[in-house]
Amino acid sequence: METIKFLESGKLILEKWIESSQTPDENRLDIWISANNLKSVVQSLVENHWGYLVTITGLDIPAVYDQDNVEIQPGQLEALYHFANDAAIITIRVKVPYSKPQIDSICDLIPSATIYEREVIELFGFDLLNTPNTEKLILPDSWPDGVYPLRKSFTNLQDLEISKKEQSND
Amino acid sequence: MTEGKKEKFIVPIGPQHPALKEPGNFEFTVDGEIVTDAAVRLGFVHRGIEKACETRNYTQDLYLLERVCGICSHVHATAFVLGVEKLAGVQAPPRAEAIRVLAAELERIHSHLLWFGVAAHEAGFDTLFMYTWRDREVVMDILETLSGSRVHYSVNVLGGVKIDIDQKLSDLIKKDMDFLEERTEHYMKVVTTDETFLGRTRGIGTLSRDRAKLLGAVGPTARASGVKRDIRVNAPYSGYKEFPVKMVIDQTGDLEARFVVRLKELYESYRLIKVILEKIQPGDIVTRIKRKIPEGEVISRVEAPRGELFYYIKSNGTEMPDRVKVRTPSLCNWGTITDVAVGHKLADMPMLLAGIDPCFSCNDRMVEIRSDSQPSQIMDWDGLRKYGIEYYK
Amino acid sequence: MNTDSENFYTQIVNKLKNWARINSPWVIHFNSGSCNGCDIEILATLTPRYDVERLGIKLIGSPRHADVLIATGPVTLQALDRLIRVYEQMPDPKYVIAVGSCALSGGVFDGCYSVIGDLNKVIPVDVYIPGCPPRPEAIIYGVVQLLDSLRKGTKPSKFIVPNDIPDFILKEKINGND
Repeated sequence: METIKFLESGKLILEKWIESSQTPDENRLDIWISANNLKSVVQSLVENHWGYLVTITGLDIPAVYDQDNVEIQPGQLEALYHFANDAAIITIRVKVPYSKPQIDSICDLIPSATIYEREVIELFGFDLLNTPNTEKLILPDSWPDGVYPLRKSFTNLQDLEISKKEQSND
Repeated sequence: MTEGKKEKFIVPIGPQHPALKEPGNFEFTVDGEIVTDAAVRLGFVHRGIEKACETRNYTQDLYLLERVCGICSHVHATAFVLGVEKLAGVQAPPRAEAIRVLAAELERIHSHLLWFGVAAHEAGFDTLFMYTWRDREVVMDILETLSGSRVHYSVNVLGGVKIDIDQKLSDLIKKDMDFLEERTEHYMKVVTTDETFLGRTRGIGTLSRDRAKLLGAVGPTARASGVKRDIRVNAPYSGYKEFPVKMVIDQTGDLEARFVVRLKELYESYRLIKVILEKIQPGDIVTRIKRKIPEGEVISRVEAPRGELFYYIKSNGTEMPDRVKVRTPSLCNWGTITDVAVGHKLADMPMLLAGIDPCFSCNDRMVEIRSDSQPSQIMDWDGLRKYGIEYYK
Repeated sequence: MNTDSENFYTQIVNKLKNWARINSPWVIHFNSGSCNGCDIEILATLTPRYDVERLGIKLIGSPRHADVLIATGPVTLQALDRLIRVYEQMPDPKYVIAVGSCALSGGVFDGCYSVIGDLNKVIPVDVYIPGCPPRPEAIIYGVVQLLDSLRKGTKPSKFIVPNDIPDFILKEKINGND
């Protein structure tokens, strides 16, 4: 079937950078790569005309604590780059820790990616290096800096105010 | 080298009608008559839906996601429901899938007629605007009889649909489709032969195939430039596997092509609806689905009237999703406008914007076109529209 | 200190104002973040099927000439400033109609981080028209309610326009509000 052929050809193109992969569905391939290989991966997809960038999804993976409240896994952000070729979808997945959320921007390879990058920067707090535009895309101008609404730790602005007051009172 | 008169225009734009004020700003730099710069800033309709989805269960999310946009509410619900059913390992019965496609095509018709009326108004054809919206009422009546509501029909439930069609309704729909086909002939004639219309659309806003691909265009905007992107054909979902559609492509890539593509799609929709009503099999319309959805991730893509709608859903075994990501088609098409606008006359702006059929609420956003010269002037959309009409007289 | 003749004069002027306003209210529409469902139904009232212009209602583009503000949408944080500015630009006396469940209470978006909800928290509302979205007939009914109360010479007392409450229950509600 064509879709399977597309997926296989895609996997072949990206083979040398794949750290782990998964096929959650017959038309989907998920590939985990390291953050510093992102540009090479995207470049090879673009050069081989494999599909188009559909969007960039952000995921928040909050920190994991054991029963003594000790952090056993620090908080992470994951960026998913979805590329679609007809019915086949390859998702490139990059994990970065909260403390160092830097990923290269892919806007010089795919100019239309700037909109998706802006969205993911302001909603999750990614730091996309060399992205051409970091202005707010959808959050209001009055939104406080450093507050990332789609992180699990954010509930709403009123709670944020209350916790800030508590912190300053301590 | 002479310095042209550089002015910055800030034009508030409305979603559907110039007199409808949407909190949006269109800014572009003009050098004499020619637009030299344009950019995008969004945000006025941002309501925080993706975050809200995480604190509501799947059924509540269905109703919430329907209201991302009033014009294409059914496709949002369908994309969500297809994704969740996949995660749960449940397949809706064939009759339900057929009814989903029926509602989707009816929605496509109503959306294209709505858009066509607005575009006609932008060009100065007010009578045409009134005619198309009156014809659109025919479709609204069908949708109301089918589902009980003119907007936000809520046809979908997790596991199937909740409305059914009987013979009487089926005959009524077929008759209405014949009526609409006749009316569309008339519109097609106006678009392809009327001189005033052609003067505003032929050869304007041309987007080549490679440029459209590079900018990530989707939907009729892309298909008008020869890019073969249509999810219903490339990756058939739901009832489209049983009732396929033909992709409508045009190679010219100018504004006229965008009009022609959408009108031709109307014909395809009429045909498909009649076929479905002919061939639909009796059966159940819903299957059971558990409240707790097993852990997993799913990607669901459907073809909205404006292009490809993309949903990514992550579940964690509870009654509430872990993450729902929505990428709407109008977002991709904004990129094409900012590219195409540069080099065109100010008078072409209203039609260019209408050509990509922007849906503001789908975007959760609004448009602002930046420039780097002062001072800025405020010209309202009505003024810009009248300017365009006068220019082409 | 108002003399009798001054009072009389003010009454005449008010009656004239009301009369002019009733015969042709100029309406400005504002979308404070709605999904466009309500806006489409408002627009549908202009089309031949419902034809609100025959009632003398005119939809205009500038707030500076408007009598009535029709607002839709749960007030999003970004739209807040613009909404207040549009309201302030309108000359007195002005009236506000909130259309849709979102403008009433936030609708389905109640609790979302970027949404305020009830329009009354921002500007004083005179008429609410519930529905998601309300039918064009309901919208026209709401506007007519406002016009009727203008004819009586008072701002409408706050009562909610019902979409489909049967008559006998409605009578109870009106009696309760008096």
